[in-house]
Amino acid sequence: MQLDFAARELTVKLVYYGPALSGKTTNLHALHRFADESARGRLMTLETRDDRTLFFDLLPLRFKGEGDLALRLKLFTVPGQVIHSSTRRLVLQGADGVAFIADSQLAETQNNASAFLDLKENLKAHGVALRDMPLVIQYNKRDLPSIRSEAELVQMASRGREPVFAATATRGDGVLETFISLLHLTWTSLDAVHDLRAKFKINPDAFLGEVSQRMGATAPIDEILLRRLGGTFTPRRRESAP
Amino acid sequence: MTGSTAATHPEVDLDALTLNTGAIRLEDLIDRSMLQDVIRSVFSLFGISVRVFAADGTLLSDQAEQQPLCRVLNQLPDGRAACATHVNTIKRLAPEAEQSVEHDCFSGARYHVAPITYDGRVLGRIILGPYLPAELREVPPGLLVAVPTLDPAKARELLPRMPRARSDTVQHVIAHVRSVLDLILFSGHKALLTSQMHLASVRESYRELQDKNARLQDAYDRLQELDRLKSNFIATVSHELRTPLTSIIGYSEMLCEGIAGELTSEQTEFLLTIREKGDQLLALIMSLLDLSKLESGSLTIQRENADVVPILEDVVSSLLPTSRKKSVNVSFVPPSSPVPRIPVDPGKIRQVVLNLAENAVKFTPADGRVTLSVSVASDADPDEDGFGFALLAAAASVVEIRVADTGIGISADQREKVFDAFYQIDSSSTREYGGTGLGLAIVKRLVDAHGGSVRIEDNTPHGTVFVVSLPISLSPAP
Repeated sequence: MQLDFAARELTVKLVYYGPALSGKTTNLHALHRFADESARGRLMTLETRDDRTLFFDLLPLRFKGEGDLALRLKLFTVPGQVIHSSTRRLVLQGADGVAFIADSQLAETQNNASAFLDLKENLKAHGVALRDMPLVIQYNKRDLPSIRSEAELVQMASRGREPVFAATATRGDGVLETFISLLHLTWTSLDAVHDLRAKFKINPDAFLGEVSQRMGATAPIDEILLRRLGGTFTPRRRESAP
Repeated sequence: MTGSTAATHPEVDLDALTLNTGAIRLEDLIDRSMLQDVIRSVFSLFGISVRVFAADGTLLSDQAEQQPLCRVLNQLPDGRAACATHVNTIKRLAPEAEQSVEHDCFSGARYHVAPITYDGRVLGRIILGPYLPAELREVPPGLLVAVPTLDPAKARELLPRMPRARSDTVQHVIAHVRSVLDLILFSGHKALLTSQMHLASVRESYRELQDKNARLQDAYDRLQELDRLKSNFIATVSHELRTPLTSIIGYSEMLCEGIAGELTSEQTEFLLTIREKGDQLLALIMSLLDLSKLESGSLTIQRENADVVPILEDVVSSLLPTSRKKSVNVSFVPPSSPVPRIPVDPGKIRQVVLNLAENAVKFTPADGRVTLSVSVASDADPDEDGFGFALLAAAASVVEIRVADTGIGISADQREKVFDAFYQIDSSSTREYGGTGLGLAIVKRLVDAHGGSVRIEDNTPHGTVFVVSLPISLSPAP
């Protein structure tokens, strides 16, 4: 996160993490489609010839709030393939929140788990504990056959801490829910540490509502957050390192 | 937080390039000659002057043509003053993001000032003009008021020579230029990020490799230290074992000689067994000492130019008693051409050949043969296929000592391991053939200390050939 009090500007970095081909870039494409013309920047993709992310994708979003507060969101994806571990670590650097995009197919169970452990390791390399990182999980590709059943996801989600969402990113389903929830959780976590509410003298709920609207959401935030399969929105507290 | 990571990766600042786009400058992203090309093409299409300024007011590029009216105005003192004031006003115009402003000159001409934005931030300005608004038909009265010295007829003549355009056309032109610039800026930013990521990734991978190397080096150092401790341990223990053993052997010798009184034949036989086993144990301890000295590098090789033929003959004769007992024929085949003297430690080479020959006799069944021979060979790498042979052959000449047997043979996958200390292909063979498994380890280390090599070849139809290659020219020992 970067704070610029003089310009009343807040820049927040959100990272879409997950195994190879789980739909991280597809999530960003969908968000880009949803976003209001004035809010979205150009989606930058740094990809190889076979359409797999090489370094990252970057979707910049910007919103104006009350009192001229500017919120800039930088949405990144990481390359999922195992060999790009050092790139993932670089992109993860300075992240304020992470959306973990898992592949619902049963065959991908192990890859999901490995990617998650990779996330944990890479966070650790940056001196960040997983428990302190605002994180939401998305089970993507709900339209495919041989996937983990929704009942099973609900059961797993209810026992975990992170909010879990089901999604079919190619159709845009669940993408906004994941994003809004991540933003909400990240915002409350940053607020808990930096007291943004007082510093910027804003009403965060109203502001988030506005962001949500500009991203094409029709339902109020509370309702969107309720669409999760399980998990809680307890803010993560992370003191800034010296 | 950026603060927590700065310590881990001080050289990589991805955030500065992606998060903090406020720090990005127009001149960093755009190629000046490319900008000039864009502007020139706009000018050639519409005939209206174009100027591009950076955020701090630096002129980055321009394609401007002084209008005849402007030239005349600038020649008049009051005209020049009015023009300067006007230009300053335009330069100070700072349109908000996404907005462009029109500004009318006292001459009736018009300017458009539009921001150049990237990621919602103003990076510079583009100024189009002057041009004559399409609706302006006559010399505006303001012109003659601002510049009283101007000849009205001249003004009427020159004003229409200024490019005429509709305001909305100019808006379109500006929108077009801005979208072209936006594309260039985006491509520039993307290229900048890609190259930075390449650099950062390589650095990160390099750092990982360095970490790994450091860990490997640590492990290697620890192993070396352990190895040294092991060698020391063996040396110490061997010394401590040797002292009492010498007494045991000495006293049994004295008993055998009858110094302590007459012995029965049975007692003599027992004592001889004690002595024989004592000698065997002593030989083993001596081998261990040799090995530990070789491993610790404290064994010195005293080189002299020696002829290996007598060494081989000596080994054959000293093996005769054992070989006769086993009915194994041990022979030396004299070389067909003379073998030069080589810089070796004759005692050590004798030990090498003796160990190999003893080994060969041990593993060769009755009526088998053990043959020793020596020849000069080339050590050139067969893979090199003769390249540089003219240069390398002389330097790569070696003396090859071969010890061939008709024994049980050694399979290809065992050939490296037999030189490890205490290694025996089949532990059951220890019971059958005896031995400690140190002989070949000592051979290998002694040959290595001479800068030579030892390898194993097949002996047709069955058996093994140990080939010891010793360099003819003195090359530094490893």
